[in-house]
Amino acid sequence: MIDALLEGLLLVLQWKAFAFMLLGIGVGFWVGLLPGLGGATTLALMLPFIYAMTPVEGFAFLLGMHSVVATTGDITSVLFGIPGEGTTAATILDGHAMAKKGEAGRALGAVLASSLVGALVGAAALALAIPVVRPLVLTFGSPELFMIAIVGIAFIASLSAQGGRGMLRGFLAGGVGLMVATVGQDPQAGIARYTFDSLYLWNGLDLVPVLIGIFAIPEIVDLIVRGTSIAGDLPRSRLNQGAIEGVKDTFRHFWLTIRCSLIGTFIGIMPGLGGAVAQWLAYGHAAQSARTAEERKGFGRGDVRGVLGPGAANNSKEGGSLIPTVAFGVPGSSSMAILLGGFFLLGLVPGPDMLTTHLAVTFSMVWTIVLANVITVIACFVLLNHLARVTAVRGHFLVPVILVLVFIGSYTTNNHYGDILLMLSFGAVGYLMVAGGWPRAPFVLGLVLGKIVENNLYISVARYDAAWLTRPVVLVLMALAVAAILYPLIQARRSGARSEKHA
Amino acid sequence: MKTRLALVLAIAALAAGLPFGAARSASFEGKTITIVVGFKAGGGYDRVARILARHIPKYLPGNPNVIVQNMPGGNSITAANHVYAVAKPDGLTIGTFNRNLVLAQLTKVRAVRFDQTKFAWVGSAASESTVLAIRSDLPYRTFDDLRKSGKTLIIGATGPGANTYDFPLLLKEFLGVDLKIVSGYSSSADIMLAIERKEVDARAGSYTSLRPFIDRKLVHPVIRARAIETGIEQLPVDEDLAPTPRAKAIMALRSAPEVIGRPYVMPPGTPDDIVNAMREAFDKAIKDPQLMAEAKKGKMELEFMPGGEVLKIVKVVLSQPKDVVDEFSKYVKFGE
Repeated sequence: MIDALLEGLLLVLQWKAFAFMLLGIGVGFWVGLLPGLGGATTLALMLPFIYAMTPVEGFAFLLGMHSVVATTGDITSVLFGIPGEGTTAATILDGHAMAKKGEAGRALGAVLASSLVGALVGAAALALAIPVVRPLVLTFGSPELFMIAIVGIAFIASLSAQGGRGMLRGFLAGGVGLMVATVGQDPQAGIARYTFDSLYLWNGLDLVPVLIGIFAIPEIVDLIVRGTSIAGDLPRSRLNQGAIEGVKDTFRHFWLTIRCSLIGTFIGIMPGLGGAVAQWLAYGHAAQSARTAEERKGFGRGDVRGVLGPGAANNSKEGGSLIPTVAFGVPGSSSMAILLGGFFLLGLVPGPDMLTTHLAVTFSMVWTIVLANVITVIACFVLLNHLARVTAVRGHFLVPVILVLVFIGSYTTNNHYGDILLMLSFGAVGYLMVAGGWPRAPFVLGLVLGKIVENNLYISVARYDAAWLTRPVVLVLMALAVAAILYPLIQARRSGARSEKHA
Repeated sequence: MKTRLALVLAIAALAAGLPFGAARSASFEGKTITIVVGFKAGGGYDRVARILARHIPKYLPGNPNVIVQNMPGGNSITAANHVYAVAKPDGLTIGTFNRNLVLAQLTKVRAVRFDQTKFAWVGSAASESTVLAIRSDLPYRTFDDLRKSGKTLIIGATGPGANTYDFPLLLKEFLGVDLKIVSGYSSSADIMLAIERKEVDARAGSYTSLRPFIDRKLVHPVIRARAIETGIEQLPVDEDLAPTPRAKAIMALRSAPEVIGRPYVMPPGTPDDIVNAMREAFDKAIKDPQLMAEAKKGKMELEFMPGGEVLKIVKVVLSQPKDVVDEFSKYVKFGE
């Protein structure tokens, strides 16, 4: 095992593999920054280039590219409020709020440092999970996946707004999200739902245009209306200094970062949940760490913990999602599904062999994730203060550029004008939600989880009838969901009682 | 007769402002040919298109560029409508889409704006055979064992319209095996995992996608549909076991598109010389040793079926009597 670990490192450090990894990092860096163009699509486009490579070179290239996408995607999310990737949308809530307070540097520092921690935890998990991965993954069947999704929605809905009324709004938004996810052909009877005879809607709503619309459009409107720069008219000196502060934040809340990394890894390991879920659960967990109602109000308005959570989780999930891909030949995310194609091209058969005969190759993947992230984060820190200065540019100059990115980013999803319409419609929805004080996070999570909830519930009932309700893991998760709903209520009552006493 | 055809073509060519006259032989020098794929990048259709795009140019006169454009939507009806009605018949657009589109036309899906018999068919790049594979730790070796056991077998499926669902549905309906189909898995890979954790007992799917798991001895195939691939010739074929001619016709309809596993067409009205040049290029490219080596690495098995033969199958499917079609639509809905 230790031998294989070292051999894996030496494999990556061979000059050719290393050069390919750097090339991959370069590509991934830009793909992450640009909204819309996603990691999965890029992987698909890059696959033909690996025919002539050895397995280690091929994976150094593909994984090098893939593992930096989430990191640089966070940068776009923080600076502009546009999700650089579908998997980095949660970073916007607090990251962009910080940028607006003139703390872009600090937010970027925090997101990069937590990304690095997340990537390292994910890679370590990949290495450590190798002996236990089979039983772990096989414990979670359809009923358990359904319950995980329910816990996720309960978490976010109860935490993203304050008080009984806020919680009600949270659940309503989550419910609407679930409903919007039903657009398209349903998987049980093949009936077209809410498609209004439009072919574009047949395959359901794509996440990227919806996310871009719902998060970026309100920010753009806000920026135009204010007529200032993103960071307002705050003194510029602060922009350049925050990065180190952000790194310190990561260590100030080190255990939170680690816990969110573990959440990301776990979601990554579960095939079928998909990468977009991890960030939101981590965000929910971060918001839950607020001890008082006062503290909780800060979330969504620029609390650094809201940046650390998703930042860590969307990187750690990569290591996690490699686990089922390598061990079962069953991909944990859409990117991994394409990576699986890469396995075949390179002449490797994923499955138990990867954990025995090809263990060194598996470890070389772990090392690629580690090295690629370290290199990217260092590169980003060099550029960081320049990047943060973007928030001091006047809105009038910035808005046209952002709009181009927003339109192109949406359009690349299907190359269809429907993408643009979808983005604009959800832009309007997003704007109204912000204006009316409705939380967007539960809506987005409902949308992300809709298919998972529906399909796994259907499978659970069809396969086990009512007996799925009595499975032990299901019961534990159910208790967790109830606790997620009750905890903030109890907490609010307690702090309410306390403040009365003070008065 | 021949001169009249040439005349018609010449007029058609003039009318459409084509770069190629009917008299000249086709040359693609300096041109860019686009393969429109009806699915997103990364899937099976896309991978086959991309490997072809790399190898076709050297077999076309004038060595043109060949690029791939993804046009997903409506289970690739969008792309087929585009190639049928929007793309110019100038030889610079090729379309590849869901093999089941012919069934969409047969069952009169409303969004369909194309007539499959009017496409200029280049051909099919592969046939995709469907098999039913069951968990190897179960006591059934063959389909007959299964039938005689009288036990219920739980089948994992994605949903109606996919071969993971339709194939076992017809087996259950007509061949007297007790199957319980549980659908809603998001991909065939997800079903494989459900098999690993024994949530389901078996799944149907293309032989290509099942092969790694068959090689690993997790599952073994017990019955197949008509389309054939090396390695599964010995398996019983569903149609041969059909109890009635009607059942056989319905099974045959379901599996017909699988013989045309990777359909490639050009817009209706594309001049014959261009279509022929393209067929020849496909044929040669698919036999190219370099392509074959790459395809083998990517676990793709390509085999060219020229457009004329494809069109014959398409016509047979679309000329089924109404009562057969009606019964067929009861079981099979158009989907992926």
